[in-house]
Amino acid sequence: MIESIWTHGLVAAGDSNAVKDAINAICQPHWFFILSNVALFVFLMGYRTFTKPAFALFALLAFTAFYILSALDPDFLSIIIKADNVPITMMMYLTGFFAWLGFRQSAINDTRMEQGQPLLEAGSDDKVLVWPDLVYTEMIALVLCTVFLMVWAVVLRAPLEPPANPSVAPNPSKAPWYFLGLQELLVYFDPWIAGVLLPGLIIVGLIAVPYIDKNPRGNGYYTFKERKFAITTFMVGYLIMWIVLIVFGTFLRGPNWNFFGPYEFWDPHRPAALLNIDFRDIFWVRWMGRAIPTEDWSGIPYYLVREAPGIALLLGYFLVFPVVLKHTVFRRMAVQLGGIRYGIMVFLFLWMLLVPIKMALRWTLNMHYIVAITEFFLNV
Amino acid sequence: MATAELVTRVWIEPGCIVCDACENAAPTVFHVTDDTCVIRPDALNAEFTRPLTAEIKEAAEECPVDVIKFEVVMGEAPAATATPAAAKEEKAAAKADADEPATAAVKKAPHKPAAAAKESGKAAAKSPEKAPTVSVAGEPDPAIQALLRAATSRGGMAVIGKTDAESGPTAKMWEKAPASELPPDARQAKVLKASGETKDGVTRRGVLTGSALGIGWLAFGGASVVSAVAFQRFMMPNVLEEPDPRVRIGKLEVYAAMPPGEVNNDHKPDGFWIIRLEDRIAALNIICTHLGCIPNWLANDRKFKCPCHGSGFRQAGINFEGPAPRPLERFRIEVVDGFVVVDKSKKYQYEKGQWESAESFVEV
Ligand code: SF4
Ligand code: FES
Repeated sequence: MIESIWTHGLVAAGDSNAVKDAINAICQPHWFFILSNVALFVFLMGYRTFTKPAFALFALLAFTAFYILSALDPDFLSIIIKADNVPITMMMYLTGFFAWLGFRQSAINDTRMEQGQPLLEAGSDDKVLVWPDLVYTEMIALVLCTVFLMVWAVVLRAPLEPPANPSVAPNPSKAPWYFLGLQELLVYFDPWIAGVLLPGLIIVGLIAVPYIDKNPRGNGYYTFKERKFAITTFMVGYLIMWIVLIVFGTFLRGPNWNFFGPYEFWDPHRPAALLNIDFRDIFWVRWMGRAIPTEDWSGIPYYLVREAPGIALLLGYFLVFPVVLKHTVFRRMAVQLGGIRYGIMVFLFLWMLLVPIKMALRWTLNMHYIVAITEFFLNV
Repeated sequence: MATAELVTRVWIEPGCIVCDACENAAPTVFHVTDDTCVIRPDALNAEFTRPLTAEIKEAAEECPVDVIKFEVVMGEAPAATATPAAAKEEKAAAKADADEPATAAVKKAPHKPAAAAKESGKAAAKSPEKAPTVSVAGEPDPAIQALLRAATSRGGMAVIGKTDAESGPTAKMWEKAPASELPPDARQAKVLKASGETKDGVTRRGVLTGSALGIGWLAFGGASVVSAVAFQRFMMPNVLEEPDPRVRIGKLEVYAAMPPGEVNNDHKPDGFWIIRLEDRIAALNIICTHLGCIPNWLANDRKFKCPCHGSGFRQAGINFEGPAPRPLERFRIEVVDGFVVVDKSKKYQYEKGQWESAESFVEV
């Protein structure tokens, strides 16, 4: 019945399947990723307009309408009503709301600063005491959260799966929703990189932020105009490389970890073949027109000879870019930060950038690894 | 004495480029740190700034980005050119009468109606060259100033901590100001001082805190040692269940009869597939070489496909899609009395050339 409403309702306006197909098509990984980036940057460029309450309300309603209409599709519905995925719906609304809230206040403050008016936060003294204010609040929050979680678990029937069986993995095997972004990274990187190095860099990087970034602007008040680079970088890292990847993993990854459009049936037998190639194959075979070296060369072990082009590429990326950036886009920042802090900042920044680069290489060239020294579990 | 403009309040708006010009012009008022410029805590006081009016105005004009703003009242011009020493004298002399108007002017500002604030804001925008010398609309944002100070200077503590000889008249002024008007650091220092506790004296609180901390760390250390020992014990169980790694799976003829390219799924629970190659059979480990999930044999696609991150392996175990960095491993396999036996304690890796080892397959 529901399906027929969807079909007949939209056939009048156009061909419903054409709409679904179009949405499925733009949800192909590269399009999804490009479009989310474009959306983020358009939003950041017009943040004063887009955060106006009218716009925000329109976006909220449009998204809700899209979500509800989508739910008429049985395949989409089966995803969103899965108990594991309910938090995703909440997450999308909450992330949208908080991003709006922050940028709204920034927009107001930035406008006020230009007009020489006091900031939103001026004169507000909202310091409170740890005891009793904070401790009481925390206790109440704790109790309410516990109640909420219990009600949730009962109402949604928190799923209990069959006993673990070491020789069977569910298909698809999905991490808890908050780790789906990390799981998506694992598709493009060696487990050491995606499972240890990148999460480690995220944590170390976040810890390092206050030491790298001593700029006092924006301390205690909302602003976007004064901190464009910092906020944009964070938003890309958080919204695109964490939240969008979670959405990715929830809605678009089906059996065998294949990509499926949001309205596509999760067919475990759908054939999908990707032939990976390593950078060494491209370099030696395609560009140099010779076989991949397997012999040591004047004392250099064969695996280093074999991977030399990839190693050179990576070294170039991490050594040349900092210098180039220092004299171009980051010129002022490099002076302000000084050598050490600039070096650390650029190092973290380049690692962050490597993630979308590697993803794009996989999608476009089927690039497996740039450096693949499988002998020592060293693959990038 | 003639009347003149007197600066009652000075503040810095965001945008300082750390050029040091202001500190050169009025070193007792401005302090340029590594990445911004702050007003020295004493200069937040009208009594202090009034005699320094000329210097502050000069600094405001010299500031290349015009971020120094101040507020003026009309009052009696100071007799001599102000220096910190003169400031002290003048303060003493004018204490009674000068205090009043300054405080009043400052107090009035926050209650300015919004419209008026906007008006003068516009006026300031229209005549930018005048901006540094006229009073700018709105308050200097006490919250922001306090935050900037707290974030960028150790000024409060530094000034309070010094003796009179070190910091001159300024330290005295700190002690006279009511605690509520001081920045957080200085407020704390003042409160500490009032309660008779100094930085270097031995106090009851210091002793108590110190011994509590000591006991706390000792307890933490003890608990850590105990749990380390417990963990060590935990790693050596009394009974260790280690099933025989050798699995006898059936007669060789059964497997030899499989057509080449076929995969036998029956022993997945034992941890391997039996695969039939052109001239041999081999036992393939079911653990994905990426992160250890268990792939499935997709008979239609003729490949093993991992449900975790999508690695794909050909029937022989060679990886060709997804992130798995190397082929699946093979187990040792042999024929004993016509029965195939797989030994899971020994593995053979393709990338090390071990698949050529005679123990890793059985010829059929
Ligand atoms: S004069 Fe202006 S720019 Fe220079 S340090 Fe002072 S506030 Fe900053
Ligand atoms: S564990 Fe098999 S693909 Fe990651």
